[in-house]
Amino acid sequence: MGEENLDTRLLAGLTEQSQDLNSDAVRITREALAEYGQQEPDRRWWQRGGMVAALAGGAALLGTTRAAATTSNDIMALQTAASIENLAVSVYTTAAALPFIKDGNKTVAAFIAKTTAQHTAHGQAFNAAATQAGGKAQNAPDPKYAAVVKQTLPTIKTPADVVKLAITLEDVAAQTYTSYVSQVSDAALRRLFASVAPVEAQHRSVLLAVQALLAGNDAALIAIPTDAAKLPAAAGSVGFPDAFYPTTNASPTSEGAVQ
Amino acid sequence: MSAGNGGWELPISEGELSRLTKDLDEAHREYLPRMHAAAADLGEELRDTQPTRARVAELRSASRRGFLLGAGGVAAAMALAACSSSTKSDPMASSSSGAMSGSASASGSSVYTGDLEIVALATALENQAVGAYGAALAAAKAGKLGTVPPAVGTFATTAMAQHADHAKAWNAILTGAGKPAITGVPLSNQPATLKALGAVTDVAGVANLALELENQAAQTYLYATYNVTSAGGIATAASIAPVEAMHAAILNFVLGQYPVPDDFLPTDKAASPSLLTV
Repeated sequence: MGEENLDTRLLAGLTEQSQDLNSDAVRITREALAEYGQQEPDRRWWQRGGMVAALAGGAALLGTTRAAATTSNDIMALQTAASIENLAVSVYTTAAALPFIKDGNKTVAAFIAKTTAQHTAHGQAFNAAATQAGGKAQNAPDPKYAAVVKQTLPTIKTPADVVKLAITLEDVAAQTYTSYVSQVSDAALRRLFASVAPVEAQHRSVLLAVQALLAGNDAALIAIPTDAAKLPAAAGSVGFPDAFYPTTNASPTSEGAVQ
Repeated sequence: MSAGNGGWELPISEGELSRLTKDLDEAHREYLPRMHAAAADLGEELRDTQPTRARVAELRSASRRGFLLGAGGVAAAMALAACSSSTKSDPMASSSSGAMSGSASASGSSVYTGDLEIVALATALENQAVGAYGAALAAAKAGKLGTVPPAVGTFATTAMAQHADHAKAWNAILTGAGKPAITGVPLSNQPATLKALGAVTDVAGVANLALELENQAAQTYLYATYNVTSAGGIATAASIAPVEAMHAAILNFVLGQYPVPDDFLPTDKAASPSLLTV
């Protein structure tokens, strides 16, 4: 499954760099938050220089959420978002243990590991915001899509099956958060949802490309770095099918709310 | 059904994939009218500060000039870079820089204020991307970038079309609010972009520049979601930011880099409204 094209040392190095950057961002962000709270409220973002650059991690988003006015709909949105993340973490964790994933394409396995960590971070951010707003943390999976997963898991026999299910979940997450940006009541929550939706969309984009490569018998090209010269033409566009991210399949805020 | 390299049974044929792609394209086309309708609604929301007729005429002139020296200048810069190795400076970049600086200094304060300042910035960023991809495709077609992988050509063509759709959506908001559309690239960083494009001689160079533009756009729209007040503006920014991020993911993959590098989209590469020169 394409292992001959893998540069596993490079992949490991890139993954480590990414994790280091994330850790640094979270640490710097936490340090910056106290300072941020002291600033005059009308100071604009591009005038804040390096400190704003540090406000990239989830902790920054939580910090700005702390003082925000929230509604019951906001809390339900955060809980439903956490439930979608919980389900995603569960599915990816299950997938990672499947023999054809665990012993298969190293790039796919690494992607699943990294994506699981990112969904975990998203879930923590949503739950932290929910509790800071006076709600309960949601530790259960989204009930609607948990049922879909329960029905689908026994039929999964190949990496393509895993990819197809993951695409569904990533798309639901991206659509839901894109929709919630317009539904929540304050800017800090808009920022939180708007900073996560593109990451889920990127997961979907990669998975769509992987799906196309699998379907075209080009599994060997699922590698980092890939052989760009050998990528089929469709691989260049299959990863972003919509000019505007849709929201028709977004989950209602009540879907995963704590009862 | 066909078997994959790993020996599994693949659940989809190429015919099915083509059909699904066609369905997605149709869904995209169905979505556009709704986006335009939403943009029109937003325009109505923002139609509160009408500029004078003279100011509109001045801005329209500046926008047309910006187009000729902006997006058009990108193509010229690429052509110059491709045709001559002795070019020390890019005359198109210089002239566009001068024109844009002139526009900015002559205009004093912009009529694109409040939410519309960010909408204008977004429109200019989209035009910048369309110009860059168009120039890259032209240079590739002329054989100026070496061998261009088919996937890169498809990427550039599709991404350019989507950026053009985004520009239309943003411009609909501007014109709906009684402001002139922005058809050029009235950004103070355009000369630097032109210069960088002019220096590119291969696909990797183009992809890296495109990645910068995509990251800048995605992060600017993230910023917009929590800094504009209009519901239509928030929804438009929220629906475009993920698409630019998807472009960036595929570019990262093509460049041999991890395609989803951030847990949360940052804003450190977001464009400042102060880049606007109109």
